[in-house]
Amino acid sequence: MATSLVRKTKLLSMVSSQLNSAACFRNIHCTAACLKNRAARIRVAKGDKPVTYEQAYHPHHIGHRKGWLSQHTSNLQGEDGAAERVVEDVFIRRFMYGTFHGCLADEVVIKRRGNLLLICAVMIQKLLPSKFYFLIGYTEELLSHFYKCPVKIEMQTVEEKVVYKYL
Amino acid sequence: MASSCSQALRHHVCKSSRLLRVHLQKSWTNRSFEGAVCVSSSFALNSAADQQPAVSSPEEIVIPKKKTWSKEAVLQALASTVKRDPTASDYRFQDDPYLTPKTSSEFKLFSLSQESGRNAAKYFINTYPKYFQKDYAQPHIPCLMPDTLEAQIEEVSEAALIERIGMRKVKAAVDLYDQLLQAGTSVSLDVTNQLLDLICFYGDHDPAQENVPEQRNEETEDVQDEPQAKKGRAAKASDLLKATWKEKNNAERIFALLSEPNKHSYSALIRGMVKYGAYSKAFSTYTDLLNSRLKADMHMFNALITAAPEVKEKYNEKWELIVDLLKQMAEQKVRPNLLTLNAVLKALRRCGTVGKSQAFPVISEMKALSIDLSLASYTHLLAIFYKPGAPIQGQTDILQEVMNEVSGKSFTPQDPDDAQFFITAMRICLDTKDMEQAYRVHELLGVGENWRLLGNDFQQNIYYARFFSLLCMMENIDVMLKWYRDLVPSVYYPSSNVMRDLLQALDTDNRLDLIPQIWKDIKQLGHANRQNLVEELLTLMAREKHNQEVQESFAECALDIKKIYDTGDRGKVLLNWTAGSLSDLISVLLAAHRRQDAWDMLKLFKTHNRVPSEELLNKFLMCVKEGGEVNQAVELVQISAGFCLPGTPKLIQRVQQEFELTEQQRKMLSDLEIQSFNSE
Repeated sequence: MATSLVRKTKLLSMVSSQLNSAACFRNIHCTAACLKNRAARIRVAKGDKPVTYEQAYHPHHIGHRKGWLSQHTSNLQGEDGAAERVVEDVFIRRFMYGTFHGCLADEVVIKRRGNLLLICAVMIQKLLPSKFYFLIGYTEELLSHFYKCPVKIEMQTVEEKVVYKYL
Repeated sequence: MASSCSQALRHHVCKSSRLLRVHLQKSWTNRSFEGAVCVSSSFALNSAADQQPAVSSPEEIVIPKKKTWSKEAVLQALASTVKRDPTASDYRFQDDPYLTPKTSSEFKLFSLSQESGRNAAKYFINTYPKYFQKDYAQPHIPCLMPDTLEAQIEEVSEAALIERIGMRKVKAAVDLYDQLLQAGTSVSLDVTNQLLDLICFYGDHDPAQENVPEQRNEETEDVQDEPQAKKGRAAKASDLLKATWKEKNNAERIFALLSEPNKHSYSALIRGMVKYGAYSKAFSTYTDLLNSRLKADMHMFNALITAAPEVKEKYNEKWELIVDLLKQMAEQKVRPNLLTLNAVLKALRRCGTVGKSQAFPVISEMKALSIDLSLASYTHLLAIFYKPGAPIQGQTDILQEVMNEVSGKSFTPQDPDDAQFFITAMRICLDTKDMEQAYRVHELLGVGENWRLLGNDFQQNIYYARFFSLLCMMENIDVMLKWYRDLVPSVYYPSSNVMRDLLQALDTDNRLDLIPQIWKDIKQLGHANRQNLVEELLTLMAREKHNQEVQESFAECALDIKKIYDTGDRGKVLLNWTAGSLSDLISVLLAAHRRQDAWDMLKLFKTHNRVPSEELLNKFLMCVKEGGEVNQAVELVQISAGFCLPGTPKLIQRVQQEFELTEQQRKMLSDLEIQSFNSE
């Protein structure tokens, strides 16, 4: 038993020395826990929380009961720029959320056609139409100059947030 | 069998390949790309089929030339399949009912708020340019980069002066020029001429920066207030303060400092003077030019011709001056261009009868010099012959001739007055009541790029208002309604005057049953608070008796109108009742047998201090008789007595005869009778 232990430790030290040599260096990668089971899911609660269609269906329903919120071609074979598109999308969503604060009824849909960036949003009729147009002109101009491509906003208004069910 | 088939095939293949080779070698240079492919295939074929003898008579296969399409060809082809959508609003707006403008004031408000949003964004972009420098676009898009508004070159040099001239900073450029002269460095003539151009173009003021809010300081007080009498132009404050040519301004000073001004300098100075109203000075500068034996150029002559009607009083003198200028132009061998012709025609507008006689000779001479007329020339021509407000003297054929010349052609903007053509032509059609020409003018608007020449929103409104008024006057109601549905409200928001014309047209053609629909449109356009429009509507509804369903719809409409008259929730009174409007409304309600509503309305006479007419009360009595309400009849008489109407006795008599009254009522009536008898 003792000899086997010694052999094992010798083996271990041999392995670790080999590991320490420059030829085979492997680092441990640490990320935050991805929590794939909890992303974009609103859990069932008491029954008084209103939830839109987009929020009610979980990510595995994308392609089956939901559409895509961001449409571009960088995920096709041989196309590049997917990461840049994601970063742009995140910025645009935060920008829209902040500029039209409290008016967004649902998630913003971003479509790219050629070099045109089309932002489709559903708004609650919280502001006067002239104020909406001010913000639309401001957003289009600022984002066009920021991303160096034409940006257009297509807006639809509803009277209140459209509730799909209560969870 | 098989072998003969294959032989025939090879035969055919050989023939075609040989023909291909023949034609390819002929036109090798034209089709480099596809030629290469075909040649390679023909070689392959040839090696297989070389054993066969050649065929005698080749058919000509002509391979067409390859077409090159522009990059937007597909988009243009797609666009040509789509016509204007008459149910959609302008392209600027979002396609949503809440966000679509319904009146012309909303149209203006929404488009202006969108523009101001853009200006706000531009302000941020230009104030913090470092966040917008990263350039993703290939190829580079210069208009999406932040503007450089500050001059880069700081030191006092000619290059700095050129930069400031390029950035249109008038005051900074003049200051720099003075600094340069003080420092002793001489500035070249070219650069000085550019500086003179800049000053004269902007009239010695800095051009108004669009995004920076206007700073009112002492300098603006110097500018004289010369409000231009352009009819109803939507004027901003900066437009009203039109600058005039000041005495001893920078342009003249710098000009005087020049040792040898050349014709460019004179030209800049004269054109600046004419632009800003110093006409006699322009002519004196011109004489200076002639004295220094320099030649004038075309732009100078154009400016002088524009200034000519201002310096002389009588028509003949004006014309003689213009002829003089033109002769000098010919002497100095300066070729006139389109702007010269337009300047002459515009000046002839101010020359009265001389204008009429000289217009066509001028045009024919210019045509001989192969100058094509633009829309501005036609505008001036029409304005010479059709003075606004003057009686028409049988010159209707000029408009027709102009339209013959102009129809079917697509014009490009060549002169700022081109935008006046459509308005002027439509005004003339309205004055001469010429529907056919109006249709031709409207058709011209659809040709090619001519829609760009309709002008801004305000001018578009004027054009359509005139077109609609003409349609209401001349055409029957079906055609009118077809145009109405096509153009309103996607292109044009009619004013209340046009709606009144429309109502009159309905009246003329006896289609008063369409009034409730028109009322809905009037409400939507925001004209529901116009007193005369609503009163006219009520009068038209109340005038005649129609069939039952029409009367029903009228009654609904009338009740709707009544809601407008009632005070709003903030106590704001939109419309005031008049006796006429109240009577009309009650008549409409009575005609549809809405007795209860009519009875409530009758009370309103007292509250609003209006007096009902006799015939209204008679009508009411007839209705009451149908219903058989005796109490109402007595009350009616009391109301009539309360207003001390002269028709009260007759009313009392009618009630006594036609109704069965109780003792009490009879006594009341006889009292009233005595009362009214005594008061007479």
